[in-house]
Amino acid sequence: MSWQERIRYWTVTLGALAAGLLALTGTPLIHEQLLPDLLGIVVLAITAELLLIRYPLRPEYSDRGIWLSVSTPIVIAVALVYGWQFGVWLDALTSFVAGVVTAHLRNVRLQWVAVNTAHSVLSASAVGLVAIPFDVSQVGVLSAAALGALVLGLFIYMLVNTTLVSATVALAEGVRLRWVLAQTSLSLPRDILLMTPISFLAMAALHAYGAMGLLGVLAPYLALRQAFVLAARQQELYHQTIRSLGFLVQRAHPYTGGHLQRVSMWARRVAERLGLPPERCELVYEAALLHDLGKTVLDERILNKPDRLTPEEWEEIRKHPQLGAEILRDTPFLAPIILWIALHHERPDGAGYPFGLKGDQIPLEARIIAVVDAFDAMIGGEAPNQRRPHKRPLSLDEALAELEQGAGKQFDPQVAAVFRQVVREWRTHCEARAGA
Amino acid sequence: MQGAWWALGIAVASIAALAYYAFVVLPARIHRWRCEGLRAFARLIELRTQGRYGKAEPMAELASAVAQRLGVPLHERRRMELAVYLRDIGMVAIPYPVLNKRTPLTPAERELISRHAEISASITEQIPGLWQVAPIVRLHHVVYSEQPDAPLTAHILSALEDWLRIAECADADTAASVLKQGAGTRYHPLATQAILSEVHQRALNSVQTLTRSAALWL
Repeated sequence: MSWQERIRYWTVTLGALAAGLLALTGTPLIHEQLLPDLLGIVVLAITAELLLIRYPLRPEYSDRGIWLSVSTPIVIAVALVYGWQFGVWLDALTSFVAGVVTAHLRNVRLQWVAVNTAHSVLSASAVGLVAIPFDVSQVGVLSAAALGALVLGLFIYMLVNTTLVSATVALAEGVRLRWVLAQTSLSLPRDILLMTPISFLAMAALHAYGAMGLLGVLAPYLALRQAFVLAARQQELYHQTIRSLGFLVQRAHPYTGGHLQRVSMWARRVAERLGLPPERCELVYEAALLHDLGKTVLDERILNKPDRLTPEEWEEIRKHPQLGAEILRDTPFLAPIILWIALHHERPDGAGYPFGLKGDQIPLEARIIAVVDAFDAMIGGEAPNQRRPHKRPLSLDEALAELEQGAGKQFDPQVAAVFRQVVREWRTHCEARAGA
Repeated sequence: MQGAWWALGIAVASIAALAYYAFVVLPARIHRWRCEGLRAFARLIELRTQGRYGKAEPMAELASAVAQRLGVPLHERRRMELAVYLRDIGMVAIPYPVLNKRTPLTPAERELISRHAEISASITEQIPGLWQVAPIVRLHHVVYSEQPDAPLTAHILSALEDWLRIAECADADTAASVLKQGAGTRYHPLATQAILSEVHQRALNSVQTLTRSAALWL
């Protein structure tokens, strides 16, 4: 099943579920005197929904990620004050209207608006389970019971929404749900903590003054949004640094461009196959992207020399893993990958450089990069101008045979076996596509 | 009901804390992260040029202090600090033999090296979120008489870079006299004045600290 089909089925399933839930919810009971208030709330919630925040997902994407909005505190407050049915309809309406506007402005397909609206309906309906037995007018808004219900409501909403969004992203991007969940669920406790006071204040203001009261929550709401924007930017900053350094390596030595992309993607795939945790796999990707960073420091005359290198020149080349680590030394948030970059030319038999480490002394991540890097160097890249000038490229079969021969000596046997399997699967996939 | 007001008070206090976090703590943290990330760029050039360029951290700190003296707003100072880390990144495109030549450079080689500011700026423009830093990077060797309208932060970097280079090669007095001679022509007069005042203040502070510790020891 192609990913388009998977997404189509997923959209239909979500849409049917959401429509069913909306039908079950029925039209919320709106007293005539409440109508202006409720309309005001709808307008404010749509405005909040339109203030989108982009949350980046992967370092290789420059323009992709999840678009978040922070209208959730308002939805939860409304669900508790006016009844959960109104919360469901409010969330559906805001997601849909804001989604259509956003789709028009950002050239997004309407299919995603439908998916997002369905996410909202399902999440808000889940909150209904908390809100059904709860009557805010009976227990009082400013009470521990109201606060407890609010926190529980926020938790359930965020949990359901995060899971659904992650499932959609996993299907759309063709990545594992576990990986996306690992990324998106990290910030869940922080998000709930940040949203609770705003939602509580919104609940008190709605109860006391209706929609006009919600205007009083505007300033704290903007502060909350700012916190989310900056938190997302912090994440983006991390990816930007890696991308920019990778870009610099490519700009300095264009022949490494395709090589770095391939090595990093293969390395992540191998790490996934070896069962490393998702965040570790991402770090392997990033380390592989920057593994040749040290070469930017070296003399291009040696790097681009078409003839065989002299021992002195080899000595220079052998400095690049340590130079790469040295460049990143003062960047604490890249600390986990520094060691792998420094050790990506070590060999299990101890004949590698710079330290001559053996077997398990070399971190698994460095062993993965070593295998994939060597393999890509053997096949010599895809475009003629990307080939290393002083080496004859091997065929895929020759390179695989070379990997097998070097297992246990130059390459880690387990990593080499997994990588050979990955390459074979990739070749079968390519052949099937070419045949189709 | 009293408990309810307490809850409301806690909510308001939490929001005040949130605002502080969103508008003070997070921007400062993001700036620190950014500087830490860009340090890698500065370090790369230091290694490529065998330490001839760079010295980014002390320069960023000194430049920020000088700009503060001149009343440059915080966001401009932060951009200038980022520019310090990126200003020489264009050296990555200058051939290694030219960068590390031990004999005097030929005019053609000088011309090649002088292009690094433009290359640095073009690289900076391609880093998302840093396009506002690029003009400062482009003009970090600006000559006051040629472009008096250039950003003040660029003028500060231009004068400071020369001051640091001369102070390292010769001494602080020579560097100060070069800056004084160039004030109004080569260097922005305000930037020159602020750099000399800041350096003088620091020298005084270090003498005072030394005197105090000597007095304590005696």
